[in-house]
Amino acid sequence: MDFDLEELASIIELLDKADFRHFSFEKGDLRITVSRDGNVPPDLAAPAAPAATAAAPVRAATVPAAPAGLRTPVKTPASAPARTAVEPDEGEIVITAPLLGTFYRAPKPGEPPYVEIGDKVEPDSVLCIVEVMKLMNSVPAGVSGEVTKVFAGDGELVEFGGPLFAVRTIA
Amino acid sequence: MSRQADRVRQRVFVANRGEVALRIVEACDRLGFETVLGVSSADRDTLAARRAGQVVVLGGPHATGSYLSIPSVLHAAISTGCTAVHPGYGFLSERADFARECAANGLTFVGPSPEALETLGDKLSARELAESLGVPVSAGGYAASVAEAAELAARIGYPVLIKAAYGGGGRGMKLVESDAGLAEAWAPASAEAEAAFGDGTVFLERYVTDAKHVEVQILGDRHGNRIHLGERECSVQYRYQKMIEEAPCAALPQATRERLHDSALRIARALDYVGLGTVEFLYDVRRDELSFLEVNPRLQVEHPVTEAVTGVDLVREQLLAALGEPLSVRQENVRLSGHAIQARITAQDPCHLLRPSPGTVKRWRPPVGGGLRLDSHIYEGYDFPPFYDALMGKLVAWGPDRASAVARLGDALADFEIGGVTTSRDLLRSITRHGDFLAGTVTTHWLNDRFNDLLGDRNE
Repeated sequence: MDFDLEELASIIELLDKADFRHFSFEKGDLRITVSRDGNVPPDLAAPAAPAATAAAPVRAATVPAAPAGLRTPVKTPASAPARTAVEPDEGEIVITAPLLGTFYRAPKPGEPPYVEIGDKVEPDSVLCIVEVMKLMNSVPAGVSGEVTKVFAGDGELVEFGGPLFAVRTIA
Repeated sequence: MSRQADRVRQRVFVANRGEVALRIVEACDRLGFETVLGVSSADRDTLAARRAGQVVVLGGPHATGSYLSIPSVLHAAISTGCTAVHPGYGFLSERADFARECAANGLTFVGPSPEALETLGDKLSARELAESLGVPVSAGGYAASVAEAAELAARIGYPVLIKAAYGGGGRGMKLVESDAGLAEAWAPASAEAEAAFGDGTVFLERYVTDAKHVEVQILGDRHGNRIHLGERECSVQYRYQKMIEEAPCAALPQATRERLHDSALRIARALDYVGLGTVEFLYDVRRDELSFLEVNPRLQVEHPVTEAVTGVDLVREQLLAALGEPLSVRQENVRLSGHAIQARITAQDPCHLLRPSPGTVKRWRPPVGGGLRLDSHIYEGYDFPPFYDALMGKLVAWGPDRASAVARLGDALADFEIGGVTTSRDLLRSITRHGDFLAGTVTTHWLNDRFNDLLGDRNE
């Protein structure tokens, strides 16, 4: 990578004074993206979210990036946590997060999710991963049934006890 | 560095609960810092959770899965974009490994350096540090075997305490009166220390039978400034748990007070201490002798009495010092005014040896008046959970002198209406009316000895 650190510093200084929401700069294989309102362009949101189902993210809200602007914007629960209890439909069970962490639907970025809506699961079927400080914890379904809803967004912070999936148990 | 603290928008992760979480949130509010509070699932409805900018549920009710879970706290702080972590007291506040992990993840740990935490966490190394600086310690030291211990005990004289190096705050201590007692207690003391603290190192210290607990508030910044904010006395203890604290300690002769403050500052200097700390001593009134106990490298429950007599907002100074700001007070500007006393109101039943008495707080009507302060997270209807310590609130009374402060505290306790849970309120009130307390002659075992008399007094 060939770029001038001083040039980069002056760009950042200019940005600090400017009113902007999103800034992209490309030169050769160098690409700088600075976002202020926390809206990461989808191609940069790590890891690639495999068609994040429109599962109304229960508490998802974005937070302004740290003013230095170079931190990866993070998702956090909203300040007034919209902890509207997820109401399961008749015959459904809500699978909740056994611990706080980052929710991942697939074993690795780019791989297909463990489960999709409509999939049949057994008690020991893995539904997702909750990562806590680089430690991957797989979450089993615990019940037999069919996945009917996904509540959490891929790569999102989920709280302890937060809803992840709904499973319709097989009668 | 000071410019940076102004420019960077600070977002502080509050890694604690109860009244201290609220205290930290309010200090952050006044500084214009955002807050994120990590709670257990049992603490979603606390006052601090209502006041914090954001709330994240870390884990289940038991502290091991929430307030004590280093990965959960770190993950929550990082994912919510926090810049600093305030650990409060207890929980992770004295964990060097946690402080290191914070630094490794770009979070400012609001506390001293991990190295200082390590030195002070090992009570034997803290004692050796104090000794090397000419700070008075009580006779004693390390013994590798029971034979060595007996030899040492013969030199210093019984009774002696066997103390766990990683104990502290009254935990991991055994009192022995004779060679036979020492031989009997030595091996179990080490085994218990191993089980409780993960390290079986123990050492011996002469037991000071009749002493007051005195402690010095220290404060340092990253620019080499280190000051003390006077001393506190916390002799009213039940089984090593402090119940009433005051500032200053009225029983100290001025020369001893100066020696006390100087000793605390020597320790602060040797550790290049940043933030708030408390250097604890025992004061043998009869011999006019001080002996070093330990350093608590964190904010302390009884900090409000120091705030009341100095006018310094200690949590504000602690936060700013951690972020690289210089202290706003110089030693020569620290002026003590009057006297302050704090009573810890707990959900504990005095009639049953202060066993915890959690439940729903049906009535909570604190007294109001000049010179009074209440630090509390309780409100009417609050369900006091059984999972954590029993502290409900700290009632602090200030007066121009000790007698008026004591009187004000006693009246305020009498006016405090609490219903639904059994509390220590009446016991505290009896203490404030007792002749020994009024005379200022209470030592650390006084309450243990007088406990039943004081209960009788309540029913008069």
